[in-house]
Amino acid sequence: MKKSLVTVAGATALALTLAACGSAPDSGSDATGEATGGAEATTAEAIDVVDGFKACMVSDAGGYDDQSFNQSGKEGLDRAAADWGIATNAVESTSDADYGPNIDSLIDDGCTYIIGVGFLLAPAIAEAAQANPDIEFGLIDSALSNPDFSPLVLDNVKPLLFNTAEAAFLAGYAAAGMTQSGTVGTFGGLPIDSVEIFMDGFSDGITQYNEDNGASVTLLGWDKAAQTGSFTGDFDNQANGTTVTQGFIDQGADIVMPVAGPVGLGAATALQSGGGTLIWVDSDGFLSTDFGDITLTSVMKQIGQAVHDSIKDAAEGNFSNEAYVGTLENGGVGLAPWHDFESKVPAELSAKIDDYKQQIIDGTFTVESENTP
Amino acid sequence: MTATLDAPTPAAATAAAALPAPPPAYRTPIVLAVLAVVTAVMALATPAGATNVRISTNTDLFQIPVFAVPGRATAWLLTVLVLAAAAYAFVLARGRRRIPVWVIVVAGVCALLALLVLISAGKTQVVPVTGLLAGTLFLATPLVFGALSGVVCERVGIVNIAIEGQLLAGAFAAAVVASMAGSAYVGLIAAPLAGVAVGALLAFFSIRYQVNQIIVGVVLNVLVVGLTSFLFSTVLRENPQLNSRTALPTLPIPLLSEIPLVGPVLFRQNLLVYLMYAIVIALQILIFRSRWGLRLRAVGEHPKAADTVGIDVNRTRWRNTLLGGAVAGLGGAFFTVASGLAFGKEMTAGRGFIALAAMILGRWSPTGAVAAAVVFGLSDQLRILMATLAVPVPSQFLLMLPYVVTILAVAGFAGKVRAPAAEGIPYVK
Repeated sequence: MKKSLVTVAGATALALTLAACGSAPDSGSDATGEATGGAEATTAEAIDVVDGFKACMVSDAGGYDDQSFNQSGKEGLDRAAADWGIATNAVESTSDADYGPNIDSLIDDGCTYIIGVGFLLAPAIAEAAQANPDIEFGLIDSALSNPDFSPLVLDNVKPLLFNTAEAAFLAGYAAAGMTQSGTVGTFGGLPIDSVEIFMDGFSDGITQYNEDNGASVTLLGWDKAAQTGSFTGDFDNQANGTTVTQGFIDQGADIVMPVAGPVGLGAATALQSGGGTLIWVDSDGFLSTDFGDITLTSVMKQIGQAVHDSIKDAAEGNFSNEAYVGTLENGGVGLAPWHDFESKVPAELSAKIDDYKQQIIDGTFTVESENTP
Repeated sequence: MTATLDAPTPAAATAAAALPAPPPAYRTPIVLAVLAVVTAVMALATPAGATNVRISTNTDLFQIPVFAVPGRATAWLLTVLVLAAAAYAFVLARGRRRIPVWVIVVAGVCALLALLVLISAGKTQVVPVTGLLAGTLFLATPLVFGALSGVVCERVGIVNIAIEGQLLAGAFAAAVVASMAGSAYVGLIAAPLAGVAVGALLAFFSIRYQVNQIIVGVVLNVLVVGLTSFLFSTVLRENPQLNSRTALPTLPIPLLSEIPLVGPVLFRQNLLVYLMYAIVIALQILIFRSRWGLRLRAVGEHPKAADTVGIDVNRTRWRNTLLGGAVAGLGGAFFTVASGLAFGKEMTAGRGFIALAAMILGRWSPTGAVAAAVVFGLSDQLRILMATLAVPVPSQFLLMLPYVVTILAVAGFAGKVRAPAAEGIPYVK
């Protein structure tokens, strides 16, 4: 009996170990590597790397092949390694309980700059940063906060944030202009700031379109004023994405923007069978998913670029704890090309969207969201 | 839901003959009375205006147009019905008679409809009844398969905590094999085999080596999560053609699928759902009416007695644990080929554990498991509808709803449940 237990435990440990280091050694050269779209401006000039510098990354439970933000973050890390020959290491978390231990294992591994991907890692990063003041940390998608939700700023933690509301506004405007039924929908994975900011911008884009054109396009799944809406409850269960989207279709929606990582794929199948159109988020869904033919556009977050640039700063010894905020202006967020919908989007709608983009960049128009970093 | 059905147990009946009559059992009437009060509160809160109801889909033969029902009036009518059910139950309980199931079902459905009226009255959105029911069945499908697997395994005395792992292994195998073969149907053959493999590990350790079955089950779940995630990140990532999307086609049954309301829900489905109907009916009959079922239950209740009459206890356990694994594995196909999706990491997201709760709530019987799975699917679906209709409740509370229902259902309504007596105990001669 004892023996068999050991066997099981051994097999499990082996499987877990394999899973943990499974995707570490490749360097993002696969098909989805191109998903970062517009920000391919890699000028691999040589840089002076501080001695002993090692850039590392911890994923959230989604893993590095989520066709979403973990994957984008990993691509930035891999690109930095390829461009400047920096030593890197990346570990994957399989559950929320892994974050702390994974960060500790990277510290033991000699990492000097550790990036946590996602809001869910914020508490673990804060704890590790306070315990290791000589190690630098980056945190994607979230600023730090104390247990009582007051903001926390640490000298050795750089938040990498994205004002996705700006790009989502353009997507909302596009959706309102393209809907045949006058109803569009959006839903999130979990009700957290980095998800809700997409929904805020999307909602504003629709409101703006209605004002400009005297239209009455309605949005399902998000009430910006009340900050309540549709959520599936996690970023894993794709079937829930299908059900929520089917619910929108039953109400007449024909364009849906899921903000839920892989759960969005469930939404895509419902839209495909129901004759609807998809708006993808984080990466360019036309390239990163196999639902390109129904993807109107994508609200892109250039996480890879932000990671790449922050590694450069840290590697040169120029680390600062000042937050990076991706905007339309600095290209940190953006709207993907229309691809297959190029011929279907009316020229005046496309021009109007470009116009708003310019106004946002100039600062003459601002997208308000209480989730703005 | 079925909590109070067997109120006069045989023991109580014999006791009643000798002693003064036992006090009437007022539990069910009280629960129904509380439900009536809740319904009345909902009716009071219902805003003025009409509820738009749609009960046909766009592809129906007979189109029933969207119609409006007056919100408040309907809510009060439903309240009266629940009240009537509660009163009838009181009368029955006073006379120490059994309260039939339909009374409870009618009261529950009326209260549910009152909730739907409450959240939709005065809104422009419709209540898509067909969509609601279809979504319920969709969400209940993996729970039914998982719970049936649990029923088979636990009835024979093996605790199957590994349902989650079996679902996940089935989902993985179905996606990969269907992609390789280019046919979703081949995936339906592979899924139960993957479930059998996990079931075999469970049987091997718990029967052959008598390891604590709960520990083995938990460890197997972790093993399957680790293994499928590893293969997903390595093999499937490098060979995307091994994890492409294949979908089981929808096979509408002629005539039946044209019945308004129930037709599109029950008979416009894919093969996996039809298999589910067949398996539920077959297991319900076989477990309680066949020689195999009698032996299964005997081994789970009193293995020593079963052994004395010549039943090979451990062989029976082995076979049925494998069978249970096959059922759960087949259910895993829901997540990939039956939903038209490729495999994704940990995509079963804890459904196996909810299936376990459905099995307990369903009192270890196939039809009970179906009823419980439908209740869970419906609560999930209600949450989704409430969010779509922009009910002013914080999103976090809505997300809790299915789990609150699970806890209430298992703790409250399941009442006294009795697991098979020899469950979890290894049999050594």
